Amino acid sequence: MTNKLKILRAEHNLTQEDLAEKIGVTRQTIFAIEKNKYSPTLELAFKLSKLFKQPIESIFNYS
Amino acid sequence: MNLKQFKITRIAIAFFIGATVAISTVTDNIILAFSAVLIGMIFMFMVRKRTKAVLSDERTEKIAGTAARVTYSILTTFIAFLGLFLIMSGQSSGEAFTESVGTILSFTALLSVAIYALSYKYFSKYYGDDQ
Repeated sequence: MTNKLKILRAEHNLTQEDLAEKIGVTRQTIFAIEKNKYSPTLELAFKLSKLFKQPIESIFNYS
Repeated sequence: MNLKQFKITRIAIAFFIGATVAISTVTDNIILAFSAVLIGMIFMFMVRKRTKAVLSDERTEKIAGTAARVTYSILTTFIAFLGLFLIMSGQSSGEAFTESVGTILSFTALLSVAIYALSYKYFSKYYGDDQ
């Protein structure tokens, strides 16, 4: 599973720490998601979707 | 309290516990050691409560779960085999103490398996198992 979290974060001018604080996770989790080392739960995916106002499938790509 | 302050405080508490336990070992004072560990735990609990930063999330829980499973597998297997070895060597050499230690370790391994099975059943139900 890949994602464009890093791009979205850059577009919204957010640091990993800012984004982590907004969705209530640690900075390491954001780093791990961006590096495709960790697949978030559905709940976290929805939080990111809501924050960036984009559907989940446009943030995450399952191939 | 932010994350950096939390990390510094955690190191300070660990240092306090380590130093006090070392002193209590040298002075042969078990009450001091227990008090230090207890005070450290209480302080740690209070510090965690006061920290506003996110200290654990779904990823850390997943890591903790995986680490716990690996620890359980290794430790239980090791204790079970060690217990078996001690029972057998105790029986062959006629040393009752060795055999007793082996029996205790074997029961410890069984207890570990039982606790794992019970907690697995409980959390399985908690997370929606219908059986």
